[in-house]
Amino acid sequence: MSAFFKSRSTQLTILVISFLLVFIPYFINIPGLDWFSTKLMTIAAVTNAFTIGIAVYSQYKRSGRFIMERRKGWIYHIYLVLLMIFMIFNGIVFGQHTGGYDWLLKAVVTPLSSVIYGILAFYMASAGARAFRARSPQAALLLIAGLIVLLYQAPLTGSVFPGIEPAATYLTNTFGMSVARMFSISVCIGAIVLGVRMLTGKEVAFLGFGEE
Amino acid sequence: MSEEGFDLFKWMATYDKRWIYVFLFIVVIGPLIRPLGMPISVSGLTKDYYDNINSLTEGDIVFDSWNMEFSGYMELKPGVLATHKIFIEKGVKLCIAFGHFEGVALPPVVFKELKSYMDQYDYKEFEDYIIIGYVIPNEAAVAALAQDFHGVVRVDWKGQPIAGTFLDEIEDAGDFALINDYTTGLATTFQIRHMVLTYGTPMAVNSIGVSVPGHLANLDAGLITSLLSSTRGGAELEYLIGQPGPGLKSMDAFTFGHYMLIVFIIIGNIGHYGWSRRAAHRDRTGIQ
Amino acid sequence: MVEPLFEIPGLFAGRTVGFLLIILIFVLTIYYMSQKKLQYVRRVPALDAIEDAVGRSTEMGKPVICSYGLGGFSYWTIAGLSILGYVAKLCAETDTRLIVPTGGSHDSYIVREAAVDLVRNAYTTAGKAEMFNEEDMPFLSGEQYAYTPAYIGMLVRDKPGTTIMTGSHWSEAMNIAEMSNAVGAITITAGCYTSSMAALACASDYIMLGEEQPAAGAYLSKNPSQLASIRVQDIYKFIAVGMMILGLIAINAGSEIINRLISS
Repeated sequence: MSAFFKSRSTQLTILVISFLLVFIPYFINIPGLDWFSTKLMTIAAVTNAFTIGIAVYSQYKRSGRFIMERRKGWIYHIYLVLLMIFMIFNGIVFGQHTGGYDWLLKAVVTPLSSVIYGILAFYMASAGARAFRARSPQAALLLIAGLIVLLYQAPLTGSVFPGIEPAATYLTNTFGMSVARMFSISVCIGAIVLGVRMLTGKEVAFLGFGEE
Repeated sequence: MSEEGFDLFKWMATYDKRWIYVFLFIVVIGPLIRPLGMPISVSGLTKDYYDNINSLTEGDIVFDSWNMEFSGYMELKPGVLATHKIFIEKGVKLCIAFGHFEGVALPPVVFKELKSYMDQYDYKEFEDYIIIGYVIPNEAAVAALAQDFHGVVRVDWKGQPIAGTFLDEIEDAGDFALINDYTTGLATTFQIRHMVLTYGTPMAVNSIGVSVPGHLANLDAGLITSLLSSTRGGAELEYLIGQPGPGLKSMDAFTFGHYMLIVFIIIGNIGHYGWSRRAAHRDRTGIQ
Repeated sequence: MVEPLFEIPGLFAGRTVGFLLIILIFVLTIYYMSQKKLQYVRRVPALDAIEDAVGRSTEMGKPVICSYGLGGFSYWTIAGLSILGYVAKLCAETDTRLIVPTGGSHDSYIVREAAVDLVRNAYTTAGKAEMFNEEDMPFLSGEQYAYTPAYIGMLVRDKPGTTIMTGSHWSEAMNIAEMSNAVGAITITAGCYTSSMAALACASDYIMLGEEQPAAGAYLSKNPSQLASIRVQDIYKFIAVGMMILGLIAINAGSEIINRLISS
């Protein structure tokens, strides 16, 4: 039975049927099908939540292998497993809004992720300052455009020199936006084409199968 | 000692990036500790966002999407607080959902900041706002929520049933007066696809700075109705509602940070120009 | 919203043209995939940069770090994996250590398995199966900002000669690229995220902009379906550009016919 559900043809069939149940009602008005689409979405959302459980199980299994075989970094896996047990125990026994779970989230996870994100400002400033060099006429034009936008981004400039806003807005709304639009169009087409490849079984790695 | 000796132009063109880190830290930390209160301008984007939020009326139900983790919240904080002050003042009902697991740590932090305001307007959990929790982690969840709200959400984040509350009025995403999204992540795109395009619900976005160019294209195409840009937008909104907060306090640091970067760019370019001219001269004449 | 130009009974208003365009994509993709002849895609210059950078690492006796992004299976990830396979092949042939940081998001678990198979196959195909070491493909974390410092730690400890970042890297890309630059590695990145692309271009020695990445992936994989996708995407880009030009002319002539057509 499990071989049947794991088989490539079964998984692809489920994929195609699910796709049609969601795709068709979006474009074509078929009242009964709409209900199926809605229920399928709800099932997908609920199923997705269960995948967290699978991730926890996989992580325990993987860490267990590291620890048993004393592979490089095994000591960190003990730390990882202990923390996971701590978080799960606290979350289930004391709830997510009080106790150790809440403390660990607020005192450890959030400050650390905030610091890593905050460092980005330094990296961006440094990369920007080093990259903006007028090495050619084109680079000089880019430099001028960059300086106008940078000046506008400084909150004081606009109040001292109101003319900066139309200039900066012109640059972002024409050159900047055209790039964003080009990206949206190509990513959208790329995603649809990838969908076709998946539906026709040409791209099966996401189902856990190797390439043909 | 170097054989060529110290070359100022070369130093200006190739300075160690750690100088930028040091100066950026200094020029930002000073005004953050002691703000100077320099004037700021208010952009058209923020005025439109303010008008958009301000057009809501008492009893309107907003899908308040906290699609951010803690780190992003630090950047969006002024906009989050100022927007919620408008919602509270106008008596708008909020259905708060998280797009990131760190979101569950945010409500105590945000509502602590808004406590006096909420007390003033008698704004209460379950009556005026309901937190439905971490329910929009991926596209399938957003699509399901948009199509069949009560099929996906039956209890709030603390497990209390939502039946019998103002959320009874919501059947699908089309019943929300507005989607207000504070975003660092992907759930914005999912909401545009499954809530805006499918149900036509208007959507306002409060975005971190790096994502603003992408959202500008969405704004121009009419996919979102207004956009609040990063801390700067939040500060401008604080100014518009007459409630100075963390945004306006940080604007001096913003100004100095940007000007410092411009100074470093100019130094680099002078160095590059002088150094490359000198190198060309040396190649031409052979004179060091 | 503008008034639709036409409506087809049974189809939702405002979605008819979208529906027809999607059907056309399906037809074109299946047509090009079924062609026996492989679709031509030019060699992307970034591939030469990758070859040079791996060669430099080999000469310096330093490892190569190559990541394929944080996301689940997406348009970008599949291209990133093709490039990873190519880098693994180059490293196997030149006896250069390859380190592949994995993880970074909740969706990254499944991609990791595919990436491990891919790198193992590259080493086996090059006749160096014994050189493949799964410990050089560590799973760093399922969280973006835990993955980032772990990646940076690897850069600082292992001091690679080359860092190649493909697939879908998001805001963390800037942290990694700058640190890679700081440790003296040649940094080759692929921008797949409008917002970070400009910053990445500043921090990288070489960047594959947008569509260059899938094109490079398709070129390397020689996979007929990937090559067919690039062809269909090109056709659609021509259609999009054509519509834009017509729309521009129409708007300037005072007509909204193109807007109304695509809103139909």
